[in-house]
Amino acid sequence: MLYNLQELITIDRRSTVHYDLQVKESIKSLILDKTFYYKTELSSPDDLADQLKVANKFTIAAYKDLEFERYIKKNKKGIFAVSYFELTNYFFDRNTAIYDAIISLGMTPSIECVEKKVVKLDEKTIMEMGFKVTKNRKFFYINRLYLGDMKPIIILENYLPLYIFSGIDEKFVGDEPLNAYLDEIYNVKTSISNRVMKAVNLNSELAALLNERKNVASIQSTNHVYDKDGRLIDYGISHTISSYYFQALITKDEMNSYRSKLSPTEKT
Amino acid sequence: MDYIYVNKLLTTSIYKQIASSVTDAIDSGLLKYNDKLPTEKEICQAFSISQTAVKMAYEKLITDGKIKRIKGKGTYITNRTNFRTDLHSFYEINVVESFHNGIYTKQTILLGKTSKDYSANRELKLKNSELCYLVINVIKSKQNPMLLQKIYLPKRYFIDFEKRLKKDSSLYPFIEEEYNYEIKHIHSTFSAINASASDALLLRMNPDDALYFVREKIIDKNDTVIAYICNYFPGEFTEFEVIVHAI
Repeated sequence: MLYNLQELITIDRRSTVHYDLQVKESIKSLILDKTFYYKTELSSPDDLADQLKVANKFTIAAYKDLEFERYIKKNKKGIFAVSYFELTNYFFDRNTAIYDAIISLGMTPSIECVEKKVVKLDEKTIMEMGFKVTKNRKFFYINRLYLGDMKPIIILENYLPLYIFSGIDEKFVGDEPLNAYLDEIYNVKTSISNRVMKAVNLNSELAALLNERKNVASIQSTNHVYDKDGRLIDYGISHTISSYYFQALITKDEMNSYRSKLSPTEKT
Repeated sequence: MDYIYVNKLLTTSIYKQIASSVTDAIDSGLLKYNDKLPTEKEICQAFSISQTAVKMAYEKLITDGKIKRIKGKGTYITNRTNFRTDLHSFYEINVVESFHNGIYTKQTILLGKTSKDYSANRELKLKNSELCYLVINVIKSKQNPMLLQKIYLPKRYFIDFEKRLKKDSSLYPFIEEEYNYEIKHIHSTFSAINASASDALLLRMNPDDALYFVREKIIDKNDTVIAYICNYFPGEFTEFEVIVHAI
């Protein structure tokens, strides 16, 4: 559906803020507050310029900036549409498969295996990953791209120890949801996943796989997955484009609980 | 280079003295992130010592994560502290009175009024031209910026803000105690963005470096958004941790 942006954007002609910035910030705020959601089609820069009665150089510049910042992108029909979407709390409340989380967003999920191989890691790397060092230093490495409606969403690299998952390199095809596979074939159930996230710039290789420009900001998550006995069964690193999103609902009780945890010296 | 101190009369090895001099200068704030260190040759000449001692000192500092070498450019301080917190405890930055303990220092760089920020206006549901107080803070740890914070407080909810604002007060207690609002909950949304030139300058990063952008909406007991905060953390030095459980 094409939105009539004119009703939602007002140009302040007395403002010292340039028209292109006014248009850009207005559209961005409409995307962030969910007035425009993923795939919403927007008026063309020329039509919007006509509606707002400004020169099209301003709307073209605004759309260019919004495209650079990945809020909008031209779709297959050549129309600018909202490309920003938010992955919800679903990722953080439970250790659920990414596959299922993509379904929860209303997208059709698919997995593309980029690479799978057996790697022999040195002692230092194994220890840094948090695994115990055994005689068998071989790990099954898989690098997979998770897509929603054929759009790359997350790229995930996993290291699975062969001393736990013997023969997985021969059995695992590459496009199976991992958690379900480990449960079904090895009877190993994931229990807890510890994730540490930071914002990083994508290198050219990852950027190409995620269909983004080099250096684009991305959320990197380093994951340690444990089974019910507290055994580390999977070490993974994922990268996703910036619309990876977490919404935390912090209640007053939680804040009070935190305050009460402060020691007397910290309170002074 | 006056922060380096060498006492050849001591039995402590010279490389350890150089390394601890640089460490002390970093800890005291004399040397800051991205400051350039003298070359090995310059130190050798200044103190008439062997290049091996300087090389060993720099290698120790590199191992300790205090400095880094950039090929063709030189040796730089890279001592920035990682800010690591549980994702669910993110709000602590606005609750804890850590400023008084000297863990963090807060520098307010702008105090003003605005009606021009589109996102803030929409999130706070402000009418056209309605004024909003804007406070921009840079939170530092050992002189290094770890958070750039833009706080939007609508004038209609924060009457006489400039008179009632107390230096160094934490945001949530200020809202609750000074204005008697009962904070019901806070919505925080986390995403990664590329740093603009101005944000990079304030956070001592390079433009286009990855930032953690955390938007917070403070909601009172009447389900009204009474404040909106944009937090910018340097991506390289910020980690959020979360533990998720299986279904």
